[in-house]
Amino acid sequence: MNKIACTPEELMICTAARLIPDKRTCFIGYGIPQIVIILAQKLYAPNACQVYEYGAIGPEVVPPFRRGMFSDSRNNYRAVAWTYMNTMFAHACLGYIDYGFLGAAQIDPYGNINSTQIGLDHSRPKIRFPGSGGANDVASYCWKTITIMKHEKERFVKKLDFLTSPGYLDGPGAREKAGLPKGAGPYRLVTSMGLFGFDEKTKYMELLAVAPEYSKEDVFKNMNFEPLVAKKIEELKPPTEEELRLLREEIDPDRGIIGKI
Amino acid sequence: MQIIESGISSFKFTDPDEMREWVRDHKTRCLENKLMTEQEAIEGFVKDGDYLAFDLAVLVRGPSSLEREIVRQRKKNLFLAGKFSFMDCALLVVGGCVTKIDCGFMGGGASHFRAIEKGEVEVIEWSNGTISARFLAGALGLPFIPWRGLLGTETLKYSAAKIAVDPFTGKKITLLPALNPDVALIHANQCDKYGNARIFGPGCIPIEVATASKKVIISTEEIIDIEEIRKAPAKTTIPYYLVDAVVLAPFGGHPGAVPGLYDADFGHVNEFLKAEKDPAAMEKYLDKYVYSCKNHQDYLDRIGRSKLEELMKKEIREGYYE
Repeated sequence: MNKIACTPEELMICTAARLIPDKRTCFIGYGIPQIVIILAQKLYAPNACQVYEYGAIGPEVVPPFRRGMFSDSRNNYRAVAWTYMNTMFAHACLGYIDYGFLGAAQIDPYGNINSTQIGLDHSRPKIRFPGSGGANDVASYCWKTITIMKHEKERFVKKLDFLTSPGYLDGPGAREKAGLPKGAGPYRLVTSMGLFGFDEKTKYMELLAVAPEYSKEDVFKNMNFEPLVAKKIEELKPPTEEELRLLREEIDPDRGIIGKI
Repeated sequence: MQIIESGISSFKFTDPDEMREWVRDHKTRCLENKLMTEQEAIEGFVKDGDYLAFDLAVLVRGPSSLEREIVRQRKKNLFLAGKFSFMDCALLVVGGCVTKIDCGFMGGGASHFRAIEKGEVEVIEWSNGTISARFLAGALGLPFIPWRGLLGTETLKYSAAKIAVDPFTGKKITLLPALNPDVALIHANQCDKYGNARIFGPGCIPIEVATASKKVIISTEEIIDIEEIRKAPAKTTIPYYLVDAVVLAPFGGHPGAVPGLYDADFGHVNEFLKAEKDPAAMEKYLDKYVYSCKNHQDYLDRIGRSKLEELMKKEIREGYYE
């Protein structure tokens, strides 16, 4: 086993960056996805086209990443077009956007996500979050969505406190039945302990790989439901020295997102 | 059209004919000088209970000086379009101006979220995309717009959207009610005294918000002559007859950024977020930066010329002014 020490965030960011294929369009949300795409473009997907809900298409983002900033001149730099929000979501709804990146407070076995609140009473939430943002739109329209979430037991629930954005709803065919665009939905879930997919037939969450130093059992212990398991569970490759150097020296030198060891 | 499901929340709605009559009776058609102070603009055009919209992206090009003036004038019971907001909703909420928010993305800190958790502020769920689409419908003079978002979720349940059977495909489709705010606040890079405004860089929905709103207040970094506007008409983002007031506000987006001009002031944003953790500290913050400031210039004096110059120095101008 490779013993490179890294933070859970670094592991998630590197795992997600390797999932981004070259020459595809990616809808980049606020926060961690902004770092993932910079790393992916430097190492794995130089020709991926990133699009942003505030209207930028294909920018060459200038690092370092600054937490909280979106649509500033570094984020917009050398784009091929500066458009508007209704244009971007129209492109996604038309089917131009291949991958969408999301964060989540909770996720359920069908990849539905909650980013609205903890607590069941909508008028008196226990904890209020910023809300859907563009997540509902991205999850509805992009062909394949990738969710990035810290692996904590209370985040994996059979039933969400609030269903903000659609995954496969309650199983095969449910998205189409609800009127959502056909053939789209959750593709991967990247956590700090593993990588999940969604079973083609049942649309139920499936464990594909575990992070170094963890077992399948460790992963299950930190979930409130048991996912399906791939025929062969892979071991996730830890971040490489090159990935970590880029993250720590160029992309997030203040370690606002990647965290400190 | 058959309606299958309806969201349970209340919403701001304006009949398109009411909007047309408003436009007929209240909007000027001629080139009139609309320059005024932020105090005059907010006093004249924002009433307690109004539905208020702004255009921005998180910490970028928000109409911050106008928002501070709203807090300074202690406006009450505003209903906000909280789309892509970071400090904007939060400042108006902690300033006691807000009772309802249409939520797309609403960042902020502890006090603002506590007000929601205590039920002092009602939140109606949408997404950034569906609020933008509601503005688009409002800007088209339509009562609603069919859309493919919110389906299958509780976001729809706690919105005011409806699901219908689309008469063309037979599939389910979301109907979003149009949104025609009472007031729009938009911060522009340049504007003439009549309201012909230029916004540089990508923007969320400045055109839709300006077009859909009954009253439009533009704050601008710079006033330019109409001759400059006429020399490059393609650069005009918002034409004058949509606009009711023009306010000169250099650094009007502070502590946010205006791309091409100045960077965000993270030190100040952190000061605000820290104050959000403690009501007494927030009182002090509001007193220092809002209540005790006579106007925007007074606020800028407190921020200090050297800070503002530093924020300008860091900024990339390529693509905006060059």
